[in-house]
Amino acid sequence: MTIMTMSMDRKKRLFLFPAFLALLVAGCGNGEQKQVISASQPAPVAVGSIVPVRTNGEAGARELLLVPATAVFHNGELAGVLIVGADNRISQRWIRTGRSLNGDVVVLGGVDKGELVVGTYNPGLGEGVTVIKSPNVTEEVQSK
Amino acid sequence: MNEGIAGKLAKQFINSKITPLLMVASLLVGIMATFMTPREEEPQIVVPMVDLYIPYPGAAPAEVEARVAKPIERTLTEIPGVDFVYSTSMPDFALVTVRYKVGEDAERSMVKLWSTLMKNMDKMPPGVQFPLMKKVSIDDVPVLNLTFWSKTKNPYELRQSAVAVADELKKISNIGDVEIKGGLKRQIKIELNKAKLQQYNVSPMQIARQIQQGNSQMTSGDFKQMNEEIVVRSGKFLESAEEVSHIVVGIYGASPVYLRDVATIVDGPEEVNNYNFFGFAAAAPKGSATGEYPAVTLTVAKRKGGDASVLADKVMSRIEGLRKTAIPAGITVTETRNYGATASEKVFTLLEHLLMAVVAVTVVVGFFLGWRGALVVLASVPITFALTLLIYYLLDYSLNRVTLFALIFVTGIVVDDSIIIAENIHRHFAMKRQPKLQAAITAINEVGNPTILATFTVIAAVLPMVFVSGLMGPYMSPMPIGASLAMVFSLLVALIATPWLSYRLLKTEEGHHEEYDITKTGYYKLFNSILSPFIESSFKRWVAFGVVGLMLAGAIALVPLKAVQMKMLPFDNKNEFQVILDMPDGTSLEQTARVAKEVAAYLKTVPEVQSYEYYVGTNAPINFNGLVRHYYLRQKANMADIQVNLVHKGDRKAQSHDIAKRVRPGVQKIALRYNGNAKIVEIPPGPPVLSTLVAEIYGPSQEQQIALAQQVKKVYEETPGVVDVDVLVEEDQKVYNLVVNKERAAFRGVSAEQIAQTLRMSLAGIDVGVLHTNSQLDPVAIQVRLPQSGRTSIQDLSGIFVQSQGMGTLTTRLRAGQMIPLSELVKVEEKIQAKSIYRKDLRRVVYVTADVAGATESPVYAMLDMDKKIQKLKVPGGYAINPLYTANPTSEDKLSMKWDGEWQITFEVFRDLGTAFAVVLVIIYLLIIGWFQSFKTPLIMMIAIPLSLVGIIPGHWLHGAFFTATSMIGMIALAGIMVRNSVLLIDFIQIRRAEGVDLKQAVIESAAVRTRPIILTSGAVVIGSVVMLFDPIFQGLAISLIWGGVLSTILTLVVVPIVYYMVEKKSTVIAKNKRV
Repeated sequence: MTIMTMSMDRKKRLFLFPAFLALLVAGCGNGEQKQVISASQPAPVAVGSIVPVRTNGEAGARELLLVPATAVFHNGELAGVLIVGADNRISQRWIRTGRSLNGDVVVLGGVDKGELVVGTYNPGLGEGVTVIKSPNVTEEVQSK
Repeated sequence: MNEGIAGKLAKQFINSKITPLLMVASLLVGIMATFMTPREEEPQIVVPMVDLYIPYPGAAPAEVEARVAKPIERTLTEIPGVDFVYSTSMPDFALVTVRYKVGEDAERSMVKLWSTLMKNMDKMPPGVQFPLMKKVSIDDVPVLNLTFWSKTKNPYELRQSAVAVADELKKISNIGDVEIKGGLKRQIKIELNKAKLQQYNVSPMQIARQIQQGNSQMTSGDFKQMNEEIVVRSGKFLESAEEVSHIVVGIYGASPVYLRDVATIVDGPEEVNNYNFFGFAAAAPKGSATGEYPAVTLTVAKRKGGDASVLADKVMSRIEGLRKTAIPAGITVTETRNYGATASEKVFTLLEHLLMAVVAVTVVVGFFLGWRGALVVLASVPITFALTLLIYYLLDYSLNRVTLFALIFVTGIVVDDSIIIAENIHRHFAMKRQPKLQAAITAINEVGNPTILATFTVIAAVLPMVFVSGLMGPYMSPMPIGASLAMVFSLLVALIATPWLSYRLLKTEEGHHEEYDITKTGYYKLFNSILSPFIESSFKRWVAFGVVGLMLAGAIALVPLKAVQMKMLPFDNKNEFQVILDMPDGTSLEQTARVAKEVAAYLKTVPEVQSYEYYVGTNAPINFNGLVRHYYLRQKANMADIQVNLVHKGDRKAQSHDIAKRVRPGVQKIALRYNGNAKIVEIPPGPPVLSTLVAEIYGPSQEQQIALAQQVKKVYEETPGVVDVDVLVEEDQKVYNLVVNKERAAFRGVSAEQIAQTLRMSLAGIDVGVLHTNSQLDPVAIQVRLPQSGRTSIQDLSGIFVQSQGMGTLTTRLRAGQMIPLSELVKVEEKIQAKSIYRKDLRRVVYVTADVAGATESPVYAMLDMDKKIQKLKVPGGYAINPLYTANPTSEDKLSMKWDGEWQITFEVFRDLGTAFAVVLVIIYLLIIGWFQSFKTPLIMMIAIPLSLVGIIPGHWLHGAFFTATSMIGMIALAGIMVRNSVLLIDFIQIRRAEGVDLKQAVIESAAVRTRPIILTSGAVVIGSVVMLFDPIFQGLAISLIWGGVLSTILTLVVVPIVYYMVEKKSTVIAKNKRV
């Protein structure tokens, strides 16, 4: 690990940061690493499925928000989905999950109805990556 | 010539061997004191504030208020020393905050509070639990924040390593509270399976009881046998999840039911209750990680009286040592707050400024008196400051912004005594009327006594500021105390060290033998040509007075014209600010996290932001402001704090206040999109208040108060410059009220308490004990609860059962243990959660808060603007609301409103300073009467005081600065300095007249002779203040001293001699007439 001191004078900082970066590149080769790299690439990534957050069709108190179970990823206790924003950019969103329902997961909080999520979690898709909606998006919308 | 104290002292020390030793000794102790005095950025303020948490489970806010808050408040206000009592009555508990007067002894206040509370506990209704008392103090504010973040580890792992580090850090001496914000604790989760519970006929209550009883161990006693004692212990603590799962919780048929049969036992992180993420932003150094990472923050507070920078250094080096052991690879520790470093930096910058001021003043003196004279003056400053610093150390002051500014502030003044003495010795040496030693002593005798008087006038001017009350008092008190001490020391130095130095350093110039004649000096010629016309023609005199009068009127007119605005203190340029996000009550943690993330993503793009960290569901590490505003209670799911760290102020052009103003619209737009309310919170330059602008609304009922508050809120929103508007009232939140059907419950043998307990266990979960392991630093709780997926709606409650207590209850015929579904016993009522009730000083209040930025920076003007609109508001009953400014409303029968917030402090400070100023004037008047034995002369001398306004107010206008509390301090101090100039002038006139010189001649001569020391001393004040111009807070003080000093000096040199001439001439004429 590295210690960075924000209030340290500039020279020291400038020296420490490349050192820190080198450490990271050498040290961690996990999925998140790719995220940093892909974030800097402007080229859009094609994604197999992008589906909207659906409800179980019932109105009122029984209405539930649903996302495909495959869309949900975990980091320890945290659960999240990848949201595709209006500008086609990916952003991670933490959600609270309830029970499973026919291959879907009930979302108790964190997403709104109609928001688009990446149907199958892909660790390569990091924050801010631009994605292209593939044709089957419309299918999914119709299937709702 | 008779010798005064000054002459006697000088005679003693001018040739004494002890004088240089004293000088060296003073310097040494001063240097020692500088290094031993703890350094901090802000002065220590002791505001004994105590929070009382009084649980009253089940009670609605109205009941909590009536039964708990009200009676407790009443008794607490009886305690002597209590300043304010606030309370908030919420569902289930009351929070009562007691604030003592500033400076009250914290321990004694706690004892008083405790005994008062104990005396009245018997009057509390049954059901009220024992209050929790928490003392809130400035030392709770962490001085160092270390953020543990990682790309690979999750919050649970981050917390584990933070806990290990915290444990190590605690071993450092002088360390205060070490806390961990965020992350997830280890927990043994017992997730009940409703279906299995029903199948095996086991109730949640039964499980809790079995675990509690199974987790027990105690020493039973001992056997004595064969001269030995053998200890007997019984029972066994639960040490692992495995053991927990083996607990028998019931019996089914003939076989035992284990806990694992009816529940899932998970050993791992607790359920997510906070989101805490860290990321680098636009201004981060190149190569920083770009993402947003789970984070845990370790906060380190210091012990009372400790040095923040020393502690921070120790902690950082300890962390370095822990890199391999307690902090695993993959976790990065980033310092996100270091008040030690900022304090050191501030202190050293100020010391540097102090040095600059001293050098600048020396150069000015050198210009007039030559390098030898400058050297004499230069030597006297460090001695004065060394002694002052020693006193700071002895009085337990720390080196902080205010104590050091007190020194910079007096730099220009402390050299004055030495200048006057050295200048006069210089003059006498030049005159060559006497041998050297004799000349020096004569010189000292001549100016010694007026110097002593003058010093005391300056002390008289600054010392009354000690009496500034309220929170601002401790902020200000080092100023007058430090300045007064420095003045006393400077006088001693001037009378002891300066003669010694002057006698040795100043040379009598050679080849200059003709008799000294004042009329040949340039000063004399100058003043002769300026003053003569006014002395000779009374018309010209009155024209001159008229011009000066007009200038004064013009200067004062700038204030009502708003060319110069009043504000208590301007914002300092800090390296951080916070965003406080409030989502509507009832917003889920994830939704709040989402909005916080979006706001953070926006802040990330701001070019000056270096890093950010958002805390959802837990409060961000507090600062002094957050302490007073109770931000440490911001732990609900609908609240988020975003800590924004800017690049160092040396590396950016924009002031933090301007950045805050710039980002505000963007941040608020995002929050508003989700119906949230975001506020930008900057570190206030002075004492913190609830909010800059606070309208307190009082009235007969909460509904009416809230209705008026909403109207006032609208007025706020329509007023330009008023931002961050909020009403401290919760939004409507849906509540399911499960009403127990008592008859049915009794008939089934189920008590209401059983139902409540079971429900609480199912939803919120109940900790039934802790795991007894040695390896864990954080206690591991054992919690019984329904799994997340099993408690999402009211329907989920249908599968929960309670057990009948059987015939023992005498209300049922059922057998004990029979499972009764809850749904049979309760009825669901949907309601709106009752709102919290705020009270202040025994009155119900609703707060409408806001900040000011942009169009107006001073709350006073915004308040005056809004007054008119508020008076036009329509309220039931048809009367007008007249906002109150200083007094609380007399009755609560009608709706009323009072302004509070920064205004309250501004009002108190200006009131106290104004009073101090009045006292100053009286003391100065008395001092001069005592010296000159005349009632008229002091008045002539005090003419100089209003003349300073001619410089001060236009000076603020020219700099575009606010007239602040520090400006006021400058003005008061200037009064002392200007009177001193007059004293020196008139004293000389009187000496000359006693020697038989004609009045006109004496007046002109005095102006000529005294000009040099007066310009020198005033020049020293002006030059010494220039370094302060660049500090946002003390700018006002500098402007007052510089502009007021320059104009007042010029005017004094002309106006005072003329007025004196006028008055004296009249009295001599009258005296002559009488004689005739």
